[in-house]
Amino acid sequence: MNATRNRIGTAIGFVLILVWCLLPVVWIISLSFKSAAETGVGSPQFLPKDPTLQNYRDILTDNDFLDALRNSFGIALIATFLSVILATLAAYAIARLEFRGKRAVLSLALAIAMFPVVSLVGPLFDMWRTLHLFNTWPGLIIPYMSFTLPLAIWTLSAFFREIPWEMEQAAQVDGATSWQAFRKVIVPLAAPGVFTAAILTFFFAWNEFVLAISLTSTTRSRTVPAQMSFFVGPDPFNPPYGQLATASVVVTVPIIIIVLLFQRKIVAGLTSGAVKG
Amino acid sequence: MSIATAATPATPSKPGKPDRPGKAVASDRAKAENRLGLKLVAPAVILMLLVTAWPMLRALYLSLFRYRLTTPDDRSFQGISNYTTILTDPLFWQDTLNTVIIMVVTVAVELVIGFAFAMVMHRIVFARGAVRTSILIPYGIITVVSAFAWQFTFSINNGWVNSWFEWLPWIGPDTNWFGAHWPAMFAIMVSEIWKTTPFMSLLLLAGLSQVSEDMLEAAQVDGATWWQRLFKVILPNMRAAIMVAVLFRALDAFRIFDNIYVMTKGAQGTESSSFLTYRQVIEQFQLGMGSALSVLLFLTVLLIAYLITKFFRVDLAQARGEG
Amino acid sequence: MDRVRRGVAAAAALITASGLLAACAANADSGKAQLTWYINPDSGGQAAVAKSCSTDDYTITTQVLPQDASQQRIQLARRLAAEDPGIDIMSIDPPYTAEFANAGYLAPLPQELQDKLKDQSFKGATQAATWDGDLVVAPFWSNVQVLWYRKSFVKKAGIDMGRPVTWDQIIDAASKNGGKVAVQANKYEGYVVWINALIAGAGGAIVSDTEKGIDASIDIDSDAGDQAAAVIRKLARSKAAPSDLSVSNEGTAGATFGSPVGAFLTNWTYIWTNYDAAQPELKKDIGYARYPQTVEGKESRPPYGGIGVGVSKYSHHVDESLKAVECITNAKSQGLNAELTGNMPASAAGYEDPKLHKIYPDDLLKLFQDSLNAATPRSVTPYWSDISGSIQSTWHPPGSVGTSTPGDSASFIDDVLHGRRLL
Repeated sequence: MNATRNRIGTAIGFVLILVWCLLPVVWIISLSFKSAAETGVGSPQFLPKDPTLQNYRDILTDNDFLDALRNSFGIALIATFLSVILATLAAYAIARLEFRGKRAVLSLALAIAMFPVVSLVGPLFDMWRTLHLFNTWPGLIIPYMSFTLPLAIWTLSAFFREIPWEMEQAAQVDGATSWQAFRKVIVPLAAPGVFTAAILTFFFAWNEFVLAISLTSTTRSRTVPAQMSFFVGPDPFNPPYGQLATASVVVTVPIIIIVLLFQRKIVAGLTSGAVKG
Repeated sequence: MSIATAATPATPSKPGKPDRPGKAVASDRAKAENRLGLKLVAPAVILMLLVTAWPMLRALYLSLFRYRLTTPDDRSFQGISNYTTILTDPLFWQDTLNTVIIMVVTVAVELVIGFAFAMVMHRIVFARGAVRTSILIPYGIITVVSAFAWQFTFSINNGWVNSWFEWLPWIGPDTNWFGAHWPAMFAIMVSEIWKTTPFMSLLLLAGLSQVSEDMLEAAQVDGATWWQRLFKVILPNMRAAIMVAVLFRALDAFRIFDNIYVMTKGAQGTESSSFLTYRQVIEQFQLGMGSALSVLLFLTVLLIAYLITKFFRVDLAQARGEG
Repeated sequence: MDRVRRGVAAAAALITASGLLAACAANADSGKAQLTWYINPDSGGQAAVAKSCSTDDYTITTQVLPQDASQQRIQLARRLAAEDPGIDIMSIDPPYTAEFANAGYLAPLPQELQDKLKDQSFKGATQAATWDGDLVVAPFWSNVQVLWYRKSFVKKAGIDMGRPVTWDQIIDAASKNGGKVAVQANKYEGYVVWINALIAGAGGAIVSDTEKGIDASIDIDSDAGDQAAAVIRKLARSKAAPSDLSVSNEGTAGATFGSPVGAFLTNWTYIWTNYDAAQPELKKDIGYARYPQTVEGKESRPPYGGIGVGVSKYSHHVDESLKAVECITNAKSQGLNAELTGNMPASAAGYEDPKLHKIYPDDLLKLFQDSLNAATPRSVTPYWSDISGSIQSTWHPPGSVGTSTPGDSASFIDDVLHGRRLL
């Protein structure tokens, strides 16, 4: 009796979760197939009256959008790569070594994770313009690295503490230095954790908006979220609903692919410490 | 969303580090380890400080000036008058109030929905992958995209909310959601909640799996009702996870910017503290006044973090088992 | 440890390299000068002009700015403040010309070019492009609003559109007959355009003595300001107000006008060709008249818009860019641009383009030019964005406008200019 009720409740919950999570996604997909003529006169129904691929043709030949995609991929990948390298070094030290100031490093990371990014926008803009980093890739990569480091350090140090350290000791007994032990034994064991940290870091950099609109001004370095907020359609006075929805779909595809392939890893990364505790 | 993912939650049960025989070895070795440790964390620490501490100090300095980028001749030392102007300005308080409302409402709603989702994910025996995948999609989606999706949802000409919910007495075919303060705030909060509930529910799921099944069974045998089990057994045992989730989501919600930028650009009095700061600095080029706002925003975040940790009486670093 | 150091060095090198790469991409192509012209979005007019004005010495390429005029200002000003040489030529919205000139971002136009432009341009266009006695940008196209109406509706309501009409008249006519008066009243620059035209139509101004910078005289708290507020209040509270009034812009107002409840619309010149693709049957029903009067009997002062073309002081090709600007703003280019975009020339000579006469009826072209000669540009001051922002804060939403609004906005503008209030 009770069990049946539970099972029914869970099933209803399952459906609700799917609807809640996917309805807006289905909605932008549907909108992306509506023609400009249809949205121009107002089209409140959910599905397109007359589905068209025109928006996709327009978006995929829109050079500004393609530039933004290139910038987004380039900046996010470089920032992720560098951030994860630095974080791996730091997380190894935190999980593994005894040194002064460890607590201070963790507190700093925590403080930066909570930092109101927008309060840096003014001084960073002022500094970047004098250093000629304004509207460049490094101008975004550097702050993205420092804002993803806390996340990467925390995730990685949680993973690293689960690694069987005896193996490292064995290597050290065999005459390896700390550094060799780190590279030969720990790196392969840590790779899955590093990969998870990289996914979460990539999500951050791919999503970031405040710095992206404040520290860029052209398609030379503007990323997708910023480009979308400035999106200009053929009609200078009306936002191009269909094209915006199409751009949304296009930039969501990589996210969906990553989620489909790595959902286990992402969930583990987000919840690591607690699950294993 | 974002950095909040750093909330790899607490592991109170675990001592910080495994025992190491290395400790007994000569102090040369300890010194070398200390040096290596510092060298390994140095690049990350330097970079983090470079992009936060240095600009923050510069903001502190700039905040003492009247300084506008496009009228460079009109620059003068003002002392703390920028701060007094801000603290006596109704706009600043209105925006702070908005931000606090958004923070409290979204975190509270997310806590409830997130907990329900976590329960379902915890119990479910079929299609676990499907649930996990679909819940991760809002988590991974770009906030700007979420804002657009919801803006179009509530759009008067192209949205489906007005036609689907027309049976509600206060919604009609020409309800203009972005035409007044509260409906616009509602739309903004819906987008924020949709986007960040998955994060909340995953952290709560982690906490939920720490609650021992034995205790639950024992309670059930003792005749405890579902509600009693929830409030007496489940929630108290999840305190650390709830605390981490609330702290990170609250501070994340306090920084709300993307949704407001896309959906209303601050119209109808829906501006947040972050948006106000952004506008002063980037749109009006008021580097002096904007820097003063930046400093105040930073102090507010510190205050909120302090209040939440005090309220839950948990020391984060200790909770993580770090020395 | 060496490896660690090498790793860090490699990381640093990677950052630098990515920067250089991006930089190279921007300056690729040597020999012939590449002039980059930052344009406001349009349907291809400026791109066509850029092509026709490219010579053997330089090629002009275009880059599109955001849609919103204040966003265009922000994008340009930030890069100019960073002394970025990537901008050569830019299309600048009139209210921000003074700010750019005052900050020293614009390369001065040679005297002969100034004289030539002053000669050819409409008075309003010259006025909007002048700062501190000099023409600082070259007027390229000039926009003006007129009153568009649906002939069928006017017939039903029985108004004589042959004579000048007032705002009161059209609001009453629309609300009595189930029609809407579509305007621009979102919290953005376009709303201030409307307010400015209403105040100017009552013989007033928002500010004057603008050369005094932040100590300019603020005149919005006046009879003219009250009359403007009364019009907005009346529309916002009447049945003639579109349901999306408080978020309406040029595009949504156009859609309202094209819908079955459409009756009146104040909007720019492009409306004439706006419905050709989606609702071609509408054209027969569109009438046009001079912008409505704020006060009966007082000549209306239609809103002035458009684009002036300026050259960045930080460009590496200032001389070539000035030559290019001369070509971009000549009568032929203005005609070409107007023909492709519906954005009308800044000079009477530009209006002589025969192709324009094929698209637009002669009386409409005459209405545009008459309106341009009567148009009142927004005040020319480096602080326009503060003034405009202050008005948006105090006059929005339109439903909240009351008798105290002009006074409130006057003191608010003063406080904002002097750094006593946040905007």
